[in-house]
Amino acid sequence: MPVIEVRDLVKKFGEQIILNGVNLDIYEGDLKVVMGSSGSGKSTLLRCLNRLEEPSGGRIVFRGENIMGADVDVRALRQSIGFVFQQFALYRHLSVLENVTLALRKLKKLSAAEAKHKALAELERLNMASHAGKYPSQLSGGQKQRVAIARALAMDPAVVFFDEPTSALDPLMTREVADMMNRLHDEGVTMLCVTHDLKLAGQISDKVVFLDKGIVRAEASIATLSQNHDDERIRAFFAREADY
Amino acid sequence: MNGWARFHSDLLEQSPLILMGLSKTLQLTAIISLSGLIFGIVIFYASLSRNNALRCVINGYISFFIGMPLIVLLFLLYYGLPQWGIKLSPFQVAVFSFTLNVAAYNAAYLTSAYNGLDHAEMEAARAQGFSPRQIFKLITLPQVMRLSVPALTNQVIGNLKDSSVAFLIQYTEFFARIQELAATNFQFFKAYLLAAIVYLALVSLIVIAARLIEKRLVIPGFTS
Amino acid sequence: MSFLDIVIQLGRGLGYTLLVTLCCSVTGVLVGLIIACIRRIGFYWLRPLLDAYAYVFRGIPVLVLLFIVYFGFPSIGLKVTPLLAMVLSLGLISAAYLSEVFRGALNSVDADEILAAEAMGLSRLQVFNCIELPQMLRFSLPGMINEFTTVLKYSPFAYTVGIPEITKQAMTLSAATLHGVEIYFAVGVLYFLIFRILLFAVQLIEKRYRIPGLVLKQRSNI
Repeated sequence: MPVIEVRDLVKKFGEQIILNGVNLDIYEGDLKVVMGSSGSGKSTLLRCLNRLEEPSGGRIVFRGENIMGADVDVRALRQSIGFVFQQFALYRHLSVLENVTLALRKLKKLSAAEAKHKALAELERLNMASHAGKYPSQLSGGQKQRVAIARALAMDPAVVFFDEPTSALDPLMTREVADMMNRLHDEGVTMLCVTHDLKLAGQISDKVVFLDKGIVRAEASIATLSQNHDDERIRAFFAREADY
Repeated sequence: MNGWARFHSDLLEQSPLILMGLSKTLQLTAIISLSGLIFGIVIFYASLSRNNALRCVINGYISFFIGMPLIVLLFLLYYGLPQWGIKLSPFQVAVFSFTLNVAAYNAAYLTSAYNGLDHAEMEAARAQGFSPRQIFKLITLPQVMRLSVPALTNQVIGNLKDSSVAFLIQYTEFFARIQELAATNFQFFKAYLLAAIVYLALVSLIVIAARLIEKRLVIPGFTS
Repeated sequence: MSFLDIVIQLGRGLGYTLLVTLCCSVTGVLVGLIIACIRRIGFYWLRPLLDAYAYVFRGIPVLVLLFIVYFGFPSIGLKVTPLLAMVLSLGLISAAYLSEVFRGALNSVDADEILAAEAMGLSRLQVFNCIELPQMLRFSLPGMINEFTTVLKYSPFAYTVGIPEITKQAMTLSAATLHGVEIYFAVGVLYFLIFRILLFAVQLIEKRYRIPGLVLKQRSNI
């Protein structure tokens, strides 16, 4: 059984169709990569899956349960999905440690000591424990990202979403991000990553989902996609991104 | 005679006095707004001086007048000075006190706008060979004034509202006349409510005027 | 009248000045916070009412509102004490200003952080309490200091409704001693000192809760 099963997902903003029948399966232990240019609906897809956006149609099944209805416990759903934002969105008024403990204390209702213990373990895993007392403004972009990942992992989520993990970082950091994600993959963390960064995609996945104009146009290896000559949209994307 | 009718007839009867008071209120507001602005600019200019002692005095002046109630200054000049044999009219006291007070505020607004400016432009002007005075007049002041328009117009609104304090030193402005109206028929609530409505209407006029000025002064890409 | 008598009498007024300033400031912060919170969390139908409140109370002179409440209300059957009259005029006016300060500060909270908190599964109220409120209070500090200063400077109006605060004591002393200039000058300095001490106290608190990198380039005229 997949962790997340998406069928014919539609999302419209007024007249504008952002997602036009997306199908996607994420299995436990997957590191699934969704590629596409900006405006292809990648970020909207992520936000629909944890109901930050209300889908307009289709079906999303999370661990065997339909999560589309109005009666679904959205907050419980979100607690089982980690989300690493593009700009990391660390809480600026909280220290690194407090950023990680917040959800543990407020949502999992752990005691201060338990939350701290768990948070330090996650920060250790991301090699950030020595920065626990710092504030977000005192961290580099890469460090902020690792805190954001620790914050997501601390809740023991069923899956972690990454929204463009390299876009807010120096291009030279791509390798580092890829290594980190591969390591988490080896440790068994289920991940869904949307990106337009070909380099990153090539380094973390051998099979990517290509999203364009709200539909999945292909699911294949980067090598196959880059040689795909039948689909003009895919060709255009690779021609553009290859320069970059 | 019932309350409303009596209030109405007294209002009619005293309307010339009330209107005269209103014109005094507007006059005082206009004068102190202008004098406060001019003196405020002078203070701001002096605060840019390289002379440390002068800067200290200026900062002390701004800080003191921002931290002290205006009413104390009004009372000092109006009730205190005559004991030294110096008698000023309520109008003179009001203009003098308000000017000192408003100038301190305006200078503070200009200073905070100045601190947010891109100082590279002033350096460029210096490199072109302009004198410090020319730089102040041609570069610094126009930019600082534009950035301060919202704060300066808020100050004008504040001046209008605060001018009502002048009745405490027997200046017969609008609110003093309203007091007299209330005292003749004891319809305090109605009289003061009328005053509130008039002030609110005048404030609204200033707000509208300020919007128009702001629109006219817009320079693309130049905001704080 | 000896110098000591003068000091003692001004000291008696000082207590009332501080009481009036404190009551009006606390009212301003509480009511201002409630208004800003209501506006933030929803209740869209209430917004025109809150806008009207902010507009009206910022457009009426303190003295006029004070007279409406203290001298006007009894004629429509409501009797208020002098202190309550100060709270209902100066306190509510400063609430109108502070609600705008708080609104601006809330708008400065990073939308991404709020989204991230929602994505974690925090409830709307938890997001407000844990993310928006702590940041907003820090952002509004310069505006709050301005407002407290303003309240202190309007506190002398309390004498017009019979509260014997500093300025009232000064008037009595000035008439009794005929040293009005010296006394009013001393009172001016006294207000200035209260202002500086208040500022110092707030700065100590600010230092205690300061967070690196969490500052807003906001105008403060002090």
